[in-house]
Order: sequence, then structure tokens, then C-alpha cells
Amino acid sequence: MQYAFYPGCVSKGGAPELYQSTMAVAGKLGLELPELFEASCNGAGVLSERNPELADTLNARTLGMAEELGLPLMNICSTCHGVLSQSNARLKKDPAYLARVNEHLKPEGVQYKGTTEVKHMLWVLVEDLGLDKIKQLVVKPLGNLSAAPFYGCYIVRPTWVLGYDEKPQRQHYLEDLIGALGAHSVEYQGFNKCCGFPVLTMNRENALKMTGTHVYDAQTRGADCMVTPCPLCHLNLDGQQTDAAGVVNQQLNLPVLHLPQLVGLAFGIPAKELGLNKNIVGTRRLVEKALG
Amino acid sequence: MILEHDVLVIGAGLAGLRAAIESRRAGVDVAVLSKVYPVRSHTNAAQGGINAALSEGDSWESHAFDTIKGSDYLGDQDAIEVLCSEAPNDIIELENMGVVFNRDEEGRLGSRAFGGASYARTYFVADITGQALLHVGYDQALKHDITIYSEWFATDLLMEDGACRGCVAIEMRTGEVHVVRAKAVILAAGGAGRAYEPSTNALICTGDGMALAYHVGAPLMDMEMVQYHPTTLPSNGALLTEGARGEGAYLLNSEGERFMQRYAPNMMELASRDVVSRSEQTEINEGRGLNGCVLLDCRHLGEQVIKAKLRQILELAHDFANIDLMKEPVPIRPGYHYIMGGIKTDIQGRTAVEGLYAVGETACVSVHGGNRLGANSLLELVTFGRRSGAAAAEYSKTAKHSRYGEERATEEERKIAALMDVAQAPSPAGNGHSEMAGPLRLEMGRAMHNNVGVYRTEEGLQTALANVLTLKQRFRNVGLQDKGKVWNTNLIQALELGNMLEVAEAICRGALLRKESRGAHYRLDYPKRDDENWLKHTLVYYNGEDEPRFDTLPVTITRWAPQERKY
Amino acid sequence: MLSREFTLSEAEGKHLAGRQPKETMNVNLNVKRYDPDERSPRYQTYTIDVPEAATVLDALIEVRETKDETLALRCSCRSSICGSCAMRINGRARLACKTKAIDMAPAGEPITVEPAGNMPVLKDLIVDFEVFWDKIKAIKPWLQTEGPPPEREYIVPNEAMLNLNTTVACIMCGACVSDCLSLEADPNFLGPAALAKAYRYVGDPRDAHKEERLRELCGAGGIWDCTHCFNCVEVCPKEVAPMDWIIELRREAEVAGNINYNGVRHSKVFAESVKESAWLDEGRLALDSFGDIGGKLAMVPVGLRAIMKGKMPKTGPFHYKRPGAEHVHRLFEELEHKDLKGIKLDTLDAE
Repeated sequence: MQYAFYPGCVSKGGAPELYQSTMAVAGKLGLELPELFEASCNGAGVLSERNPELADTLNARTLGMAEELGLPLMNICSTCHGVLSQSNARLKKDPAYLARVNEHLKPEGVQYKGTTEVKHMLWVLVEDLGLDKIKQLVVKPLGNLSAAPFYGCYIVRPTWVLGYDEKPQRQHYLEDLIGALGAHSVEYQGFNKCCGFPVLTMNRENALKMTGTHVYDAQTRGADCMVTPCPLCHLNLDGQQTDAAGVVNQQLNLPVLHLPQLVGLAFGIPAKELGLNKNIVGTRRLVEKALG
Repeated sequence: MILEHDVLVIGAGLAGLRAAIESRRAGVDVAVLSKVYPVRSHTNAAQGGINAALSEGDSWESHAFDTIKGSDYLGDQDAIEVLCSEAPNDIIELENMGVVFNRDEEGRLGSRAFGGASYARTYFVADITGQALLHVGYDQALKHDITIYSEWFATDLLMEDGACRGCVAIEMRTGEVHVVRAKAVILAAGGAGRAYEPSTNALICTGDGMALAYHVGAPLMDMEMVQYHPTTLPSNGALLTEGARGEGAYLLNSEGERFMQRYAPNMMELASRDVVSRSEQTEINEGRGLNGCVLLDCRHLGEQVIKAKLRQILELAHDFANIDLMKEPVPIRPGYHYIMGGIKTDIQGRTAVEGLYAVGETACVSVHGGNRLGANSLLELVTFGRRSGAAAAEYSKTAKHSRYGEERATEEERKIAALMDVAQAPSPAGNGHSEMAGPLRLEMGRAMHNNVGVYRTEEGLQTALANVLTLKQRFRNVGLQDKGKVWNTNLIQALELGNMLEVAEAICRGALLRKESRGAHYRLDYPKRDDENWLKHTLVYYNGEDEPRFDTLPVTITRWAPQERKY
Repeated sequence: MLSREFTLSEAEGKHLAGRQPKETMNVNLNVKRYDPDERSPRYQTYTIDVPEAATVLDALIEVRETKDETLALRCSCRSSICGSCAMRINGRARLACKTKAIDMAPAGEPITVEPAGNMPVLKDLIVDFEVFWDKIKAIKPWLQTEGPPPEREYIVPNEAMLNLNTTVACIMCGACVSDCLSLEADPNFLGPAALAKAYRYVGDPRDAHKEERLRELCGAGGIWDCTHCFNCVEVCPKEVAPMDWIIELRREAEVAGNINYNGVRHSKVFAESVKESAWLDEGRLALDSFGDIGGKLAMVPVGLRAIMKGKMPKTGPFHYKRPGAEHVHRLFEELEHKDLKGIKLDTLDAE
């Protein structure tokens, strides 16, 4: 199966382990992922706020590149997914707007006709490959693990842009996937709430309060780890867990895995190859438990 | 607690808020008391708009004539002259306060046509005019820093030396009873639609203001005049604005015919509401309806118009009738909507009781007479709200407070405790002998709808009255399951039921009294309008345990002699 | 007796002629009760028969009137205009009168009914709205004009009034406040309802205090505390989309010169980074978004931890331009003039 691959910014910058584990898992799944090297950052919502037309134009460019390859676009970040889906919805809804945007893209020779489908890797795994295929590839069922899913706002809201009306089952893909990998999915309140990353620079205390609250919630319900399809959430939940612990005044020590890291573990890919040594909150004990 | 203000307004809809703002401007200490937060008041359900003769080609005299004709000549013409001549300034003031009225191409206030109006003089905010006005009213009340006692339920008025001097009220949040002393009281507690079932009215429209005034000797006037709105949804009684017909929507029967051409060939769908409701009911009764409904067809209005101006009814039809009214006609039927009658007042809002004022749907000035034109009720709230606020403030400057103290609150608490003492209401499985408020209200509502609705007969009216009187007896046996103090909605419901029963009785009495047909009151046994004998208002006076006292009052005619009323 | 063919959005057939009178169905409610005389809340189940098309409010009222008169809730208009009945149904804030029972329980499963969130519970489904109103008052929700009023109406284009129709449509139900995730973390946040109401006056051309309003809205607990999680957009029963207006306020605030805020810095640095290189220089973003030394210093340990764990990208520590960056640069040059202007798709403004 082929997808035009859009890795976003963070997986090539502050979370290289995400890129690494994605490639490793893709190999096992037989996914061909021609990368959109020239695609730009989608704006992460920040550019859309500042200049919606500019953001939509940059995203039309990206979507057009995938369209030229004749492939659906796969991303590995909830925020990328949400922003691209929102741009896509606006562009598809309004032909006059799309035409105007395409005018800007003409000098580069890129055009977007409005046909690209945007899919997060999570959806690719569950919808396109299917849980049965996933189960077949599981070498080491993670029966010892309790994993707490953390979706990230941009892949769950707004529902009408993300196809939840047509496919309400998308609401529980992460739990389904965790189950297919043999692990136990932890039920807790924060699973579809906000990690606070968008207010990190404006109100760091609030951001860390949100992070700390959800990590603590998962931890107290017996999670061995959290798993998230969003590297921005990961930067908070994992990268600033220590700081968050201070804000919520609790001991926090919960490893946070990127989605392909959890999948890779179950597929028998060695931890080093999955970049698990790069997660800030140590994963050694987790890996031992998973494989033990 | 004992609280004290110069003027107390009971009811925080647009009438109450406007009155309070005016009292404040007059420099007195005014407070508003409401059983719900102000923006929850039923004003917010008014969709269509507010009338005023503001355009070049229009005149307030034309507006007045339309109103008088609409009232079927029962409206007092001096009051109507005041309403229509002061309307333009009141609308401008609303705009200056910040209402986001619809505009024409030049940026001036833009109007649309409405029922019974010979000129397009209805000013509006999409189809949420009532909500838009109410919220600005609340914003202005905040700006003027007016004290608002929210979620307080007034149970009785304070009377001393024949004058009204405040009220006792339950603070719902704590269950505490407070005495609120005031030198003047303005009742603006809205209508009584929950006495009917079905009804477009909110659950809070329980005639509290009318009952409060009635019990202290202020007469209720023209109570038989209740308006059935032509376009209500059968599932929950929700209203679809007349504005739809104002934009050009059709009414169709089961044969696809625009049947209004047989009843009102000139104004068609925009004849006055009583005429349209009766026409619809006739079509339904004669077998040209669809499951008790006729059809409102908006399809030809087009997506742009509907989305810009009729967004709310698009939502209502979708949510409560599962119909996309851009693609299909929506079944509707006449439903209880408004009461033209109410506490009798003069054009300053004064009732027959000193110190007691009334305004809005609670009152009967009378500007609507036998039938209210759409978009005149929002106007009434503003114009007479302003006038009664000013009048009450002026009066309060020379009036005195009463001597009521804590003992009055204690007395009220005892009454409430007595209500609690009635044997606990039985669960459906058990067989105790007390009654439950909810089912009693339903019985009353159905009796009123069946016999005191669009078409009336002597027999039907007597049946309704007998039912109501029996229900009043049964009401003494209402028991409450909830014996708590905090947020006892059960208690409030029971008190509201008591109020509604009084109002229902007054409606039946008025209907029996008036032996003619006029406006919304149509008797099959007296089908003609009888100006010779009945160019009068009916008055009902509370008489304790005995049958109410009745009286009549001639209609005030200034310059418009009664004519035949044809649309 | 429920038909299993019901989908989420078509509970009733659309037959106009010959439609059968309403069938009844059985609804199971799992209601969170709270009596201030008891110490803690509890759940109580009710089973009730209501018509097919009944809303959750219809079911609750039926319970209250025929089974359990002690059940306390706020409700009034039954047609989603008064805003009284906002509560959490199946975990999410909704208007009970606008929520079909069958949509919440297509297979007859119990419907969870709980009071609205982020507000203290007074009794059962009734929450304390006082803080809500305090926050509305805090943004001065009235028209502040200057100079004498005009002779008649202020002359304003209809577009300006239509622009306000969205925020004017707010019925103050509190659903957005109930589910706001920033409020959940920080009760000091003004919240989506107050901020949407603030826009209603900031965006009113007749208001003369726009600059002052925007300045105040930038302060603590204001527009920069929204974490744009879309919850308010998702739950608003009137499609007000408060978050969209908070973002509009941010744009207007920056245009009005309120630039000494981390949110503004972050937005500018973000744009510069993408303009130059087509993607994000996270290190630079982390440091330059903060205006104060303290903020910058706080991010240093985060960065150091990352480096120590070997998160250095393969291409080395220095930020590079992606292939095709020159095209991205060109697009920025061409469209930068539309910065902070928002977007109005329906009317498709030329500029």
C-alpha cells in the first residue's frame, strides 16, 4: 500500500524517534511511503489563526503534491492531521476559493483539484490495513501492558471535519489498536482532552497543569505507559513531564510512547530501532515488562 | 432577610428590564426580582420583529389603524395612539442601545412585512428579534448597575392601607423567604400559556403576575382573549415565526391549495392571527388537513433568504419535526400562544390598586384588544415598560414604605410548611390520596385547549369552567414529594399551578360573559360581532371563596369608528 | 420497541401524509443526583415511556412529573432559545431540549445525565451560574458610545450587523463553559461565553471603546489563555463557535498594537520560521516565543534534556531550509498583506 508521506516538522526535529519508529513499522507493514520532501509546515493552527488564506495555500500546495502522486496523504501527527483536514474541508467546500488559491500556486506549477484524502497513520492502520492484519503481524502480544490512549485535540475535534459523523468508530481507534496489540487499554478521563501545548508559551503553568493532570490520571488508573499519535502532545506529556509534576504536585513517572513505538514493540522490533532510548521519561523498565 | 427599594419590578423580561432602566434613569433605587435569570425570560422566544412607523411613506396613524382593526375594535384607542406614536422613538432608542437590527442598502434600519400590517414596518434581527432585544435589555441593566434578585419566586404582594408595598419571595437557591419592601411594585411577569396544553409558551409562563394582582383586588380584563398562533409545530408546540409568511411563505391544505384566498383574499397568509388560525382550524375540521395539521411551505423562498433571515425556524423544523424546510413543507397547526387579556392598567401602567403597576403580557392596557398583531408585543414591552417605569418612579418619590418585617416572612414560611404537610404524593405504584401537580396541570391544559380554544360554545365553556373549579378543589390536596429547602422545584411547580388555576378560571368566566364573537374569541352560538352591546371590556374581580365579581368597561374610542373587519 | 435501523441522524421518518400517531419508546436514564443535605453525589436510574421523538428533556420532565418530583433541573422554553437546560448528556455538554433521546441511546442503553461541568453543583442538575454571570459582567457587555447620539439610528452597513449575528445568537446556556478545557485547568480564565460576548461589542462599529476592550482582553485570564481544543465549537448548540471569535479577538488585538505578549511573539516567530525555511526551527521557537528571561530560561532544561537523550536530528544541530523553500518564501511575500485579516468564506471578500 502506498501513501504520500507527510512527516510534519517535529518528527524531523525534536522527536526523531517518531520518524525512526514510523519507518521501522512501515517496513513490517509493507507500506511504501514516498516522502513529500518539499512540503511545508502546515501551520499547526498558529498560521491559520494569523493568516488563514496563507495557511490554506501552503496546505493546498502539500495536498496538491500528494494529488500529483495519485496517493492519499499519510501523516503521523494529530495536529498535522487536524490542520490539513480543516484546510482540505475549506478548499473543497468553495470552488471559487480553491481557484484563488491555485492562482497563487501556479508559478510553482503545483495545482490542487481537491481530491486528496488525508489520513493519520492511526486511521491507516485501523481502517486501511485492518486490525486483523495488525494482529497477524504481532510477534509479541503486549499482554503485560496497560496503555492509556491520548488522542490529541486535533484528531478528535471538530467532528464534522474529521468524518466522525460518517465513521463514529474513529472515536475509539486508539483503544482498538491497543487491544489488537494485545495490551489492555486504560479508561481515564483525559483521553480526549487537551495536553495544553497550544498555550505553552502564553501560559506555561496552565499548559503543564493540563499535562500533569492527565498523566496523573492515567498513572493512578494503573497505566504502564501512555500512547499518543501526536508529537506535540508528546513534547508536553513526555518532554515536560518533570515540570508538570511540579505544577500538579504529584510524583509522575509514566513513559509516553509515540504510536509507532507501541506498534513496533508488539511487532518485535528492537527498542533501539524504535528510538525508545530517546524518550525523556525512561522506557527501559516498560520495555522489559512488555517483553518479559 | 428584609430588603428595601423604592421600586420593585417583578419579572425580568424585556418589559421588566425596560421599566427598571427607566426607573433608574428617574433617579430612584430600583430592583428587579425574577424566578429565572433575566435572559431566560420568555421574551427570547419572540422571533419575528418589532413594529414602528419609521419609514418615510408610513405614518403612526396607519400603524394605529392596523392595530385597532387587528384588535377587532376592542383595543382602547388612546392607548394605541400612545403605542404607535411613541414607537418610532422607542425603536431608535433600542438601536442606540446596541440592538443589531437588520439594515437596508443605505445602512438604515430595514423592515419587513408582518401579519395584519398595511405597511412593511416590522424591524428585526434575523429571526431572533426577541432574544436580541432581551439580551440588550439585560446588558443595559448591567450597565445601569441595577440589582437583580435572580431565581427568587414572589409568593404574595405586601399590602398596607390599600396600597401595594412590596412582596414576599422565596429565594430558590436556599429556600429562605425574604420580605422585599418597596414603595411601588411593577408586575412584569409575563403570560399564562401553561394553562393550556399544547402551548408555544415556556414552562415558566404560569400567570404568576396576574394571580398576584388578582388576589389583592386588581381586576383582570378581557381574559377570554387568548391568541392561537397559526404556525406551531405539533410535536412540542414550538413556534415558527410569522416572519416566514412575512418573507412570502405559503399556507397549504392537503390538496395543495393556498386556502387563505377563500378566507382573506387581500392579505392572504398575512391576515391577522385569529383569522388565519380559524381558517386553518376550519380546513382541518373539514377534512383538508394532514393529521390535524396544514402545511407551511417555504421552499420557494430560496436558501439565501432562509439562511439569512429564518435560520432559527430552519433549526426548529430540523430538530423538532425532522424536516428540512428548504426542501419540504412543514406540518403546523394553531396553538395557544399569547393572552391579550391581563391585569387592567391605564396608559401609565397603573392598576386599580395604588402603588401597583403592571406591564407587558401580564397587563391589559388595552393595546391588543381582541387580537394582537405580530411584532406589536415586543413594542408594547418597550413603550409601556418605559412609561410604567417612569410613572412608578415618580410615584415612589412621595410614597412611604410599609412596616412589614420579619414576621411576614415567618407567616409565609408557615404557609409553605402547610403545603409540605399534605400527605406525600403517591408513587404511581402506590395508592395514597394526594394529588401531583404535574398531572393536574395537564388536565387543566387539555380542558382549556379543548373548550376555550379557537372555536367556543356555551356548553364547552361551561364544561371547561366546571373542570377548572373541580381542579381547584383537587389542588388543595396536592402533596409534594420534595420536602427540602434548597432548590425545591416541586414546591415552585405547585405554587405556579395555583396561579394558573386562577387564571384559567378567569379566562373561562370572561368567555362565558362575552356573548358575541370578536377577535380571538369566537363563539359558535354567538358568531357575530355585537358592537351595540359588546363594545366593552370584561372585568373579573377576585372574590375569595365565592364566585368572582364581574363588570364591564366601555372601549375608549378616539377617532376610529368601528367598521367591519375584512382581510 | 425500537427499530434497529435507526441511524444517528434520522430518528423519524419524513412521511408527511398518513403519518402514524407517535409510538412510544422506553428510555433509561442514569442521572447524577446531589442533595446538599447528603455528603456526596450518587447516580439514580429511571425508566420512562416517552414518544419516539422525545428529547432528553421530555424524558426528564416526565420523570419529574410522574415518578420523582424531587429531581431538580432548570428548563423553560423547550425549544433551544432560553439556554436553561444545558447539562452533560453521555459525557458531553448539550441542551437537553435539543437532544433526542433516541440519538443518545439507539439501542435502548442507559443515557447518562449529569450537571454541567466547571461550575459547582447546587442540587441535582442545577449548577451555580454566579461566576458565569460575573465573567460576563467583567467584559462590560454593553454598547459604549461616545459623543451625542445621532438624530436617528447609527448608519451601519448590514454586513456589520450580519457579522455580529453569530455572537448575538449566543443564548448564554453555558455548554461551552461546561466543557472548556482551559477552564478545567484554570478557573481564572474568562471562558468562551464571556469572550464571545466580548467580540459582540468589539466587533460593533458603534462601540467607541474597542482599543480599551482589546487591551483588557489581552490581560490575565483573557484571550491568550484559550488552548484551542475546539470543545466550545463542538458543543455550542447555536453554532456560535466561541473559539473562532477568540481567535478573531487575538488578530484584532495585535492589529491594535497589543504586541507585547508571548502569544503574539510565538505567532510571529512561527511565521518567520516557516517563511525562511518552510518548516519550524523548534529551538528558536521555544526561546523567542518568550518575551521574558524567566520564560526563556525555563525552556532551557527542557532543551537540554532532549539533547542529552540524543534527540539531535540526523542533519545536525543547525536548522536548514527544506527543498522548495523558495516557493514557500514567495507565497509568504504574496499573501502577507492578508495577515490578521481573518477570512470570510461565505461572502468571499476580495481583500
